[in-house]
Amino acid sequence: MESFTQQKVQRYEEFVDRRLKPDLQRAIDERDKVFEQQKIFADLRRNIENLEKNSVTSLRTLVNLGSEVYLQAEVPNTQYIFVDVGLGFNVEFTWSEALNYIQNREERIAKQIDEYNQSIASIKAQIKLVLEGIRELLQLPAEKSLPERSF
Amino acid sequence: MEETRRGTVTSLASLFPVGEAQKAANRVQYAIAEKRAELDRLLGFIDDNNNLINLVHKLPEELSHDIMVPFGKAAFFPGRLIHTNEFLVLLGEGYYAERTSKQTTEILKRRGKGLDSQLDSLEAMIKDLQAEAMFFGQTIAEAAEGLVEIREDYIEDSHKGETKSGPLKQDAPDLEKAKPDDEYARMLSRMDELEKEELAAESGGDNGKNEQTTEDVDDISYQRPVDNEPRNSEDFHKGAPPVDQANNKSMATKSVEKHCNPDIADQLNFASLDLQSNVREGKNAAKKVKFVDHIEKPLVHHEEKQVKAATASKSEVQHQPSQPSFDSHKAFTGSIVEHTENIKTSNGQSSTSSQVSGSQPSKPVSRFKMQRR
Repeated sequence: MESFTQQKVQRYEEFVDRRLKPDLQRAIDERDKVFEQQKIFADLRRNIENLEKNSVTSLRTLVNLGSEVYLQAEVPNTQYIFVDVGLGFNVEFTWSEALNYIQNREERIAKQIDEYNQSIASIKAQIKLVLEGIRELLQLPAEKSLPERSF
Repeated sequence: MEETRRGTVTSLASLFPVGEAQKAANRVQYAIAEKRAELDRLLGFIDDNNNLINLVHKLPEELSHDIMVPFGKAAFFPGRLIHTNEFLVLLGEGYYAERTSKQTTEILKRRGKGLDSQLDSLEAMIKDLQAEAMFFGQTIAEAAEGLVEIREDYIEDSHKGETKSGPLKQDAPDLEKAKPDDEYARMLSRMDELEKEELAAESGGDNGKNEQTTEDVDDISYQRPVDNEPRNSEDFHKGAPPVDQANNKSMATKSVEKHCNPDIADQLNFASLDLQSNVREGKNAAKKVKFVDHIEKPLVHHEEKQVKAATASKSEVQHQPSQPSFDSHKAFTGSIVEHTENIKTSNGQSSTSSQVSGSQPSKPVSRFKMQRR
């Protein structure tokens, strides 16, 4: 019996280590990526709102050529802004259109984050379940004896 | 004169257990993989750097370039590059320098040199790790084959081999006088002959006489390769039959003992002792080995190495023993001066000359010594 429980315990532990924990790791990574996206779009929105507020028509920036070597660049007309909508496409927007799009985008991202949160939570719950099962298996002999002693 | 074999026989598998060696090899492989990844990254950096140098070089050709100016990570503005000769370069720690195109290329070239030196050091490290991995692989293979490392102590016996002089003595000065190369070649050919004899007689496998002496000889010969060149000894082991090589060799030497005249063995010891008295310490072993090579067969490859070592020391030693060996021709035993004196004094005693009687009171003592010998 002892060896049988030992075997089971080992199998449960292996299951946790090999399936559940990597799954958890992967889910967390994907969620982080989506977090980043969310941050990017949030920054963009803030910047566009700033530009609109100050009615900036042209601006000067420093463009990174690579390895932190910057070159001055001038944007004469900030009327149109090209936004990356995924799959390599950049769509020409005006300010308000851009803001609109960014808002929609942000909502979608928030939904994705929710989904990832749920899956992470379920994986964590599964891990906890298996661990509890292992604990039960190990404690079972002890538990049985306790009630007898109480008498 | 049977003696228990001194020394230890350790299998390589116990020294380097296969499992652990495997783990070590895996660790080294892992480290190699890591370093390779670093190498790739560095190569990428170097490529980027070179591209940037080209770009910085080309930009000032135009007054301004039309580009898409990025705005954050996910948006662009159509715009122009202006002031195409003014570059802002990050020097580190938040310090920037405004430079022209030419100066920027110089900065970038210096950076490239730093990257190259990093690359070189990484490559050197990878080479070292690969050598380590090869060593581990070799030991694993050898341990799996069941190689043994034999370590026997060398014991000097001072009371052996005083019985005969003779032809072996003549061998000694000859060997000393002969040039190292000739001697080496001669020994090799002699060893080949003896090896054939030994192989023919290996089935016999009796314990020969003077096992002690051959054992001593074995000790030296085994000790040398183990101390100096374990690899070569392993190679030699690979060539020999893998089954219990230590016993094989001892048996082989014993069988050789059977074939060779017992005289030779005695003479061998005698000659070696002769040298022993002449030369001290480390060179002793080398000399003994040399004579062993000449006579004993199975220690073929060992002898090669030892001869090399021996010849080196021998050339030094050659000068020294030349004189004492001549003395040994006259004397009967190994020691030099005392014996001749004893002979003289004994003669003097028999003739009862006054001079002899007047000389040292130790005369009668030495005479007894001589009689005992």
